Amino acid sequence: MNNKLTKEEVLHVAHLARIKVGEEEIEKYQVELKQLLNDVDKIKEVDGYDEERMIAPWERDAVLRDDEPGEMLNPKEVLKNAPRHSGNYIAVPIVISEEA
Amino acid sequence: MQFLDKSIQEIHDALKKKEISPKDLVEEAFERIEKSKNLNGYITLNKEEALKQAEALEQKDAGDNLLFGLPIAVKDNILTKGLRTTCASHILDNFIPIYDATIVEKIKANDMIIIGKTNMDEFAMGSSSRTSYFGAPKNPWNHNKISGGSSGGSATTIAARDVLFALGTDTGGSIRQPASYTGIVGMKPTYGRVSRYGIVAFASSLDQAGPMTRNVYENALLLNVIAGMDDKDLTSADKEQEDFTRKIGKDIKGMKIALPNYFRSDIVSEEIRKEVENTKKILESSGATVDYVDMKYLDKAVTLYQIIAMGEASSNLARFDGIRYGYTKENPKDIEDLYLETRKNGFGKEVKRRIMVGSYLLSGDNAKIYYNKALSIRDDMKKEFDRIFKEYDLIIGSTTTTTAYDLTDPMDDPSKSFMDDVLVIPVNMAGLPGLSLPIGFGKGHMPIGLHIIGNSFDEATIYQLAGFLEKKLNLNLDSRKGEENV
Repeated sequence: MNNKLTKEEVLHVAHLARIKVGEEEIEKYQVELKQLLNDVDKIKEVDGYDEERMIAPWERDAVLRDDEPGEMLNPKEVLKNAPRHSGNYIAVPIVISEEA
Repeated sequence: MQFLDKSIQEIHDALKKKEISPKDLVEEAFERIEKSKNLNGYITLNKEEALKQAEALEQKDAGDNLLFGLPIAVKDNILTKGLRTTCASHILDNFIPIYDATIVEKIKANDMIIIGKTNMDEFAMGSSSRTSYFGAPKNPWNHNKISGGSSGGSATTIAARDVLFALGTDTGGSIRQPASYTGIVGMKPTYGRVSRYGIVAFASSLDQAGPMTRNVYENALLLNVIAGMDDKDLTSADKEQEDFTRKIGKDIKGMKIALPNYFRSDIVSEEIRKEVENTKKILESSGATVDYVDMKYLDKAVTLYQIIAMGEASSNLARFDGIRYGYTKENPKDIEDLYLETRKNGFGKEVKRRIMVGSYLLSGDNAKIYYNKALSIRDDMKKEFDRIFKEYDLIIGSTTTTTAYDLTDPMDDPSKSFMDDVLVIPVNMAGLPGLSLPIGFGKGHMPIGLHIIGNSFDEATIYQLAGFLEKKLNLNLDSRKGEENV
């Protein structure tokens, strides 16, 4: 079993997770992520997978609550935790840049 | 006056007779917390509010509510309105919730007083609480040892006898394993028994909150309060209100108990296996039967857990983006820069590793190869438990494979934190209730726990057995006296 991811694989996985990986961390992740991926690969040794089977984490029917308006969060309170806001809105930095 | 060493009934009677007030109890709790400060059990204390709340209770009659006026510690991944809730992470270290978790509403409605927020592994990811941004809590029995995790701070403060009640959460053993390492009682209820609303989600199909206490009876009392269906959590179960203490004190004659061979295999240390065998003998001489049984899939549980927990975590933790709350990168170039830098600096190593692997496991065709297959085998595992429970009332084994290890043990093996929970994870996979009960001590007088697993929604029978053994064994579980032994 290969015990290291390639550099590109690490960067791909980091991109999926939207986590920046510094140049100095790549080598460590090559080994650590591969070890975890080797761990989870053990599932391939288990037989009996039925793709058609419907799986829910609980066996009970989902019960929906009555469709009645409930209490709302106060927008002023919500904004207190938001690092950037403007008026009643949460602000975000530019999403589509000019180069795109 | 040391009221917090008395029985819950004695405390209650003293409150009723106005010999003491809730304020006395709160003050005593904070004196104790101050004394055991070096154990690092807490991230945030709630002194001012707690005293205010205690004063407000002075005018109120305790009635027959045994929990009236009693201080309680809450794990720091459970939202408390107006009280900082960090999940032991840098990314939330300035986060003040604007609402209470349902279980927090419930303990407040029962006039319990929140004393502070307890230390834990970052986002509950870990088995020793050493991934906390705020440093690891220490085991009150030996300050060089871990308290376990992820609910390590809650375990620490109960074992140190700062307070009598704490809330923890358990996704893959995080209540039961630290309870075992610190010689306290910890219950993970059936999935759906307790509302998850307002608990910061880690792996939504596994997470469950539960009580951590110094004894069995008080554990059941606290479950009485937090259990119940919640309109805000559609996975919470619509079950009749029940009294979980009702079977405590009842005889166990005729009870049928299974002990899976995997739980007594050589992955478990000899001293622990011996203690479990002793317990088996006690149960048999008390009229119960204990049979060794073979169970399929138990050895696959960690693999399933890794896939399901990391997958669900990667999805749940996508919400920490530096936009709505928590730590954020200053002056980001654009949105991508904001995400990448916020998450790089905000999360710790263990959390980042798990999010990355989880994202990979859920991406494209991998979802089928790993996640869906894991759910399918998890269903088989649940059926295996169902098969056992057709014949048996309870399943037992040890909670952990060793006693608590050194705080300085290496942390560079990414699989280690999963393997620490190898015996407790199957219970989360099957959604069953499980409790850890202290049954003895190993080398260096470190506590050993018995794991008692019940059928779905049969917490009451677990408490029955646990209560019976607790009385029979009559161990001295006060770590403050044990300290002289180490």
